[in-house]
Amino acid sequence: MANIELRDVNKQFGDVKVIKDVNLAVEDNEFVVFVGPSGCGKSTLLRLIAGLEDLTTGEIHIDGERIDHLAPASRGLAMVFQSYALYPHFTVAQNMGYALRVAREDKASIDKKVYEAAEILQLTEYLDRKPKALSGGQRQRVAIGRAIVRNPKVFLFDEPLSNLDAKLRVAMRIELTKLHRALNATMIYVTHDQIEAMTMADKIVVLRDGIVEQIGAPLDLYNTPDNRFVAGFIGSPAMNFFKGKVSGVHEGGAEITLSDGTLINFPGKNGTLSVGDNVEFGVRPEHFSIEPGADGSLRGEVYAVERLGGETYIYLSSDSQKEIVVHATGDHRVAVGDRVEIGFTIAQSYLFGPDGQSVR
Amino acid sequence: MEKKRNAGLETWLMHIFLVGTALAVLYPIFMMVMSGFKTNAEIFGAPFALPKSFNFDNYIVIWNTTDVPRYLLNSTIVTLISVFVLLITGTMAAYAISRYRFRGSIMVSLFFLAGLMLPLRLAIIPLFVQLKAMGLVDNLLGLIFIYTAMSLPSTVFILTGFLRALPGELEDSARMDGASELRIMVQIMVPLITPAMVIAGIYNAVPIWNDFFFPLIFIQTPENKTLAQGLTSFFGEYSVNFGVLYAGLTLAALPLVVVFIVQSKRFIAGMTAGAIK
Amino acid sequence: MQTADYARAKRARARNLKLWLAFLLAPPAFILIVFVFLPMASAVLYSLYDWDGLVRKEFVGLDNFADILFNPNKNSILFNAFWNNVKVFTSLMVIQNGLALVLALLLARNPRGYRFYQVVFFVPVILSTVIIGFQWKLFLNPVFGLVNKALHYAGLSDWALPWLGLPETALPAMLLVNSWHWFGFPTLVFLAAIHRIPKDFIEAARLDGASEWRIAREIIWPLMAPAVTIIVVLTFIGSFNWFEIPYIMNGLEGSPQGSTDMLGLLFYRTAFGSVSAGGSDFGAGSALAVLMFIFIFIFSVIATKYLTSREVELS
Repeated sequence: MANIELRDVNKQFGDVKVIKDVNLAVEDNEFVVFVGPSGCGKSTLLRLIAGLEDLTTGEIHIDGERIDHLAPASRGLAMVFQSYALYPHFTVAQNMGYALRVAREDKASIDKKVYEAAEILQLTEYLDRKPKALSGGQRQRVAIGRAIVRNPKVFLFDEPLSNLDAKLRVAMRIELTKLHRALNATMIYVTHDQIEAMTMADKIVVLRDGIVEQIGAPLDLYNTPDNRFVAGFIGSPAMNFFKGKVSGVHEGGAEITLSDGTLINFPGKNGTLSVGDNVEFGVRPEHFSIEPGADGSLRGEVYAVERLGGETYIYLSSDSQKEIVVHATGDHRVAVGDRVEIGFTIAQSYLFGPDGQSVR
Repeated sequence: MEKKRNAGLETWLMHIFLVGTALAVLYPIFMMVMSGFKTNAEIFGAPFALPKSFNFDNYIVIWNTTDVPRYLLNSTIVTLISVFVLLITGTMAAYAISRYRFRGSIMVSLFFLAGLMLPLRLAIIPLFVQLKAMGLVDNLLGLIFIYTAMSLPSTVFILTGFLRALPGELEDSARMDGASELRIMVQIMVPLITPAMVIAGIYNAVPIWNDFFFPLIFIQTPENKTLAQGLTSFFGEYSVNFGVLYAGLTLAALPLVVVFIVQSKRFIAGMTAGAIK
Repeated sequence: MQTADYARAKRARARNLKLWLAFLLAPPAFILIVFVFLPMASAVLYSLYDWDGLVRKEFVGLDNFADILFNPNKNSILFNAFWNNVKVFTSLMVIQNGLALVLALLLARNPRGYRFYQVVFFVPVILSTVIIGFQWKLFLNPVFGLVNKALHYAGLSDWALPWLGLPETALPAMLLVNSWHWFGFPTLVFLAAIHRIPKDFIEAARLDGASEWRIAREIIWPLMAPAVTIIVVLTFIGSFNWFEIPYIMNGLEGSPQGSTDMLGLLFYRTAFGSVSAGGSDFGAGSALAVLMFIFIFIFSVIATKYLTSREVELS
């Protein structure tokens, strides 16, 4: 239905730059998630697209037409808010039909569209209630229904699940994905929760301090993060990082010495490294094995174990590293106080240069 | 044991004090109402007795031979129109101040709040000259303008607090739905602060209804007098007929007391709104 | 569309927003300027001129102020009135607000009839001062008034006095009437302030074995300071603008013998004329208004500053 293009978008509040030179293309029917820590500008970026904030510089195009000068309602978008923003003095039906009433559609057609949307969301029996009389999940569905009724080119979601409890959140995640498929619509979704991003997105945009850190499919971000920030942000529990120095550079490879003295050889990766550079070595908790590894091992003392039956989380510390998290499948009989050797492979580990970028 | 008896005594003293105070309030009002049903002879002869009969003779005298009904009507007109204009203009100002970021918005809100500090009765002389020039002396419209202006700062103050507390996403949502700024204000935001408007309305309506000072200076002809002011001329005319005077006071007090008893919670909240943060 | 067109479209949206804000702000600002700010500013200007009735004559500088303050024929009246206002303020602080504080502390213990008392205490507050003034004037009538009748029935005929006619009793009688009129207001403001104190504080003190008196003095009183500030300042402003009760009960001249004369009455007499003050004098009246405004304003600011400095921030 619609593609969106952001060109050199900047936003400044007073002297504070909150969005810096963002360029982004959202394809038709794509489910794009903006993710990042709080204050990274993801909500501002969404509000710029919606027209609730004005761009400082740059352009926004939908289907090839520039729209950043238009009022929010003329852009063909609909938005679902974090607090749902249901009008408390309107019934569910009046809430869902408000945009159409403003647009002076005739009553019969409004009623029809509202009823259809309510059917999709199983809200038909609540149409005459006020929002106050609904549960959190129902309110959430009304907010989505209000967006559907307008038949927009693009749906915008601003942290829509953050007010729901954990169980409902998982259910709504799946429901939203289904809805995306059913409506065949372009959706942009803002969240600070990387699990929501990984589970729902076709494409993730990772933001930090108003800058796009990386754009890509969820597993691409997981497997080949561009930099240390993305590597640390995507994945749960977060990746373990170990400080080290480049101790040798050779044809098509590099040799790293970690601060505990462990020597690691990276064949085929040296980027622009030179001897003496400070680097970081990264391994995801799920990529450690609780045995000496083929490409190398690290040692530590167990200070906490969480045994869940199907999986085990082991927390280690060593003189040079305060915390190493290991996530192993199955049950492992590890006890607090044990000294353990954990192995890694070069194929499933990462190297970040002094600038924080991945060494490739 | 002893401690318990002490507590009992304390409680008794508390109740006696409270009942005593309540009686000190109610008994004079009760006497005023009762005396309104009495003849002069009864008032002088048996001042504390109940009236011999609850006849409305004194009220009939008031209704037929005095301007008190006219005063009642004037006070009603002045209060209703003032509060109506006040709530509309006050809401407009408070909405602009509280819902928009714009250059000078702090100056604008200070401008409205500064009015809280200015006792308008001290500017009565220039006000008189000015109203005279505008042809608004001895004119209910003049009072309406003064009361509206005088009450605007407190109204803006009360409403700004409530409007600020409304979530911004509601406004954003309505904007996404295509509503104009006017429509967002009238259809979405203002309906949500009607309780605050009631409070601000009562806060100002009671002093306006009761005001005596401005009519004393600006209104001369009997047909334009308001109730509080009109009572003074009524007292001059009937100074020897106590029964009629008491009936007049009762009649003058009646409208507000009735509304108060029905809406006491809102009245108390409204009247104390300026003093409770 | 050209780039310039987009910029123009954006500017048009910004301009519409400005027009909308102007539409919202202009009517209330206009009313406030014309009927409050302009007269207040004019009062200062008027005080610097000589006046003949409604006609402004020559500029006289601060002569009007000097005349009010230093002319020995006039300033004794001013100082008498001012002193009476001081008496009003201090007496009301003790009688009216003291009673209110006691009642608020009692009501805060949530006695039986709590709602009833709240409503009853507030009834006089909503009544017009005119009604209350006349009502009590009738009650205090030396021959036919209920007060003296009651004293006769109680066998205390000697105590029956022409209350409003004696210089010693006229002002105290009016102050009692004023307290009867207003005590419900500070009571409920204090009560609201007490209710805002977290229950935990009071319960913790009670568990520590503190007496009710100690709790009131050491916990409730310091924490209700903001309400006290407001009531003190409002009582001050009310006392120095006191007009209706003395005017209605004993007339414009502050009789008997100036014992109930107030700045408000003097201002009215000076501005609009009276038997004693002669014709109206807008210049002197405005000067008096300016002096009163400056005095009330300065005291309010100082009192607010001083009183807020002893307020404790909750949480």
